[in-house]
Amino acid sequence: MPNIENRGDGLESERRSTDGESEVVLQADGLAKAYGSSLPFRERVEVLTGTDLTVRAGELVGVVGANGSGKSTLLRILVGDLAADDGTVRVSGRVGWCPQETRLYDRLTVRETFALFGEAYGLDDEVVAEARDRLADRLDFERYLDRRIDRLSGGNRQKVNLAVALLHDPDVLVLDEPYTGFDWETYLAFWELTDDLRDRGTAIVIVSHFVEERERFDRVLELADGELHADDGAETDARPEGTEVAASRREAATDGGTRGTTGVRFDDDR
Amino acid sequence: MTTADRAVARFGVGLRSTLLAALRSPTALALLVALPPLVVVGYAEAMAGFPRLPFVETVPKTAGRLNGALFATAFLAGLLGLFQVVSAARADRRLVVAGYPRATLFVARLTSVLVVVAVAAALSLATLWFGVAPEAPLAAFGSLLLAGLTYGLVGVLVGSVLPRELEGSLVLVTLADMDAILSSGLVETKGLASFTPLHAANPLFRAAVLDGTLPSDELRAGLATVAGLAVLTAVAYLRLVGTAGSGDGTVESAGDGPAADTGGDVR
Repeated sequence: MPNIENRGDGLESERRSTDGESEVVLQADGLAKAYGSSLPFRERVEVLTGTDLTVRAGELVGVVGANGSGKSTLLRILVGDLAADDGTVRVSGRVGWCPQETRLYDRLTVRETFALFGEAYGLDDEVVAEARDRLADRLDFERYLDRRIDRLSGGNRQKVNLAVALLHDPDVLVLDEPYTGFDWETYLAFWELTDDLRDRGTAIVIVSHFVEERERFDRVLELADGELHADDGAETDARPEGTEVAASRREAATDGGTRGTTGVRFDDDR
Repeated sequence: MTTADRAVARFGVGLRSTLLAALRSPTALALLVALPPLVVVGYAEAMAGFPRLPFVETVPKTAGRLNGALFATAFLAGLLGLFQVVSAARADRRLVVAGYPRATLFVARLTSVLVVVAVAAALSLATLWFGVAPEAPLAAFGSLLLAGLTYGLVGVLVGSVLPRELEGSLVLVTLADMDAILSSGLVETKGLASFTPLHAANPLFRAAVLDGTLPSDELRAGLATVAGLAVLTAVAYLRLVGTAGSGDGTVESAGDGPAADTGGDVR
């Protein structure tokens, strides 16, 4: 079991406004995005048609939706990787982004990867080393620090993918299918990590094909027809194959004293 | 740490990373070492049986060696530039979102291409030396570097505009093959050769090897070609790895996080 460490340092209080309500750290208004082509035979697809999203400090928001509903597009716009056709995004503070696919350099080692992204974040070497070692310990990949990214298993690569997003201690964390490939213990460690981050005031947006552990989230929103709606949980009716495995794991975790109802997200053909 | 120190540190880490990524491919490295001599010898032997052309002073075998050295250096540089950009495009975008300056990344990529090209140029020149001793070796090496830099830029440009390995390779191999022939002076091109990327580097290299000179007109034209290509390539590459740089949507950042550094519509 990875060592779980609480680094609470009072940031939460700094993120509270005077009326006691948490500060809005991410605000998206009227986001619109369509994919098209100048070629006549390619269809234009409208993905977002006026999406609004407000996230406060310390809030954990889940975004669910069907395949191709535009979840990753929304996140890419939120972090500035993709331009919206219309609408605005306002972000307060540092942003951490864990993309769905592992966007890392295959031939660099894990250690070199952190050095490079640490430089991008503007961190000093000592800060990078401290954060790297803490995250490696927490997500249990410290023995792979000198291994090349392309020689890691899918799950370990995803751990590094996530850890790179956390390296600079972001104020807003945007995670796209972050626990893909995690083993069970790392999956649990991931949720403990998000709990700690929330306690410290970090706003977290998690996109997933579907969210099974609804009670972990402050809000779950469904992206459908280009807009975000409060989700009523109906999407869990359309669970892909493997739900029985989820149930057995859920039971096992509950038996083990893990908080609340736990489960897993299943990879599909995304 | 001052801003300048930070910029230097960023460039250093970026260059180291791009170089490590390029050098940690043993097969590619082996090919990089083996291909230039093979191409030089292959071109020389292929042209050895050609009759001597009345309008070309160089004997065919020597012309083959020269063209082989130029083609090997230029084409390898182009491929390296292309694959560096295409294979790393997604990671590059993430790095830029994280705050790494796009321009620094571009220069780091180009510098790493140039370092590897220097090795290919040295190997090509060394192989050439077995048959033709260059009159001005340093000038010949410089000309090869110029050709390599030219095609390194072409490779990055093709990879930025057409970020697909197969399609980009097809464009590059066709262009480099035609260029090596058209700019060689061995065929009548009716002025077409002056539009090829090697139109100046090729005669410059021949003059350095055969006459020991560096004609200033060709040198200026070669440097102008590199400068023009550098501008085009920079624009294409920065667009490729740019973030939120088009459309009417805006991203504002009140902090010092990634969104604040991403250019384009990001404010």
